[in-house]
Amino acid sequence: MATAVKKLDLHVGELVEIEGRRYEVVPARDGDGLTIEPPITPISELYAKRGMSPASAEDFKGILGGLPTDGEG
Amino acid sequence: MRPRARKQPLVAARFHGEEWSEEVGRFDRNSPARVAAERARREIETGGVGLPWLACEVAGSDGTSLPNCAKLYLPLGEKGASAAPFGFVFQFVKDSDHVYTLNFIAFGERHPRNPATRTVYERAHKRLHGRYPE
Repeated sequence: MATAVKKLDLHVGELVEIEGRRYEVVPARDGDGLTIEPPITPISELYAKRGMSPASAEDFKGILGGLPTDGEG
Repeated sequence: MRPRARKQPLVAARFHGEEWSEEVGRFDRNSPARVAAERARREIETGGVGLPWLACEVAGSDGTSLPNCAKLYLPLGEKGASAAPFGFVFQFVKDSDHVYTLNFIAFGERHPRNPATRTVYERAHKRLHGRYPE
């Protein structure tokens, strides 16, 4: 017996819930279609709850500006 | 020539539960990735080793943009992509008491063998910007 295909009209950024677990619709890394993965909560949402904020570029430069880079990412 | 990473911790690194759960909790408990992350966190929080911090790229060749971020390669103290295949990314922030900290935002592979797997830099970019790089 053929398995019935459940067609879903999903778009990037939407959340789906499967067996109680949430997943986010994201572009596939190879650029071919969409996939789902556990969501990555935007840091702005987490900071807002905690009263945190990103430091300024000037502060980063003044305090951590001497850190080396390796060009990787 | 490989840049010399700074060995002195400049400001405290902090790990919060939400980010940790999403980044590290997705790996099996006994997986090499999770074991490496948990060990490194213990080492960072106890200050037991010099921390070889590196600055992240504002405009990376992979399309990622990680301004005001710093990173550590794991296992701590290992060098080279094969010996240290994982990375932590932190964002420089001010907390509610206006104290500067390096807040953990992403963990993952630096150079995944699986082409479908996002790099730690792509995950950090998405956490900062809400979407993966183009």
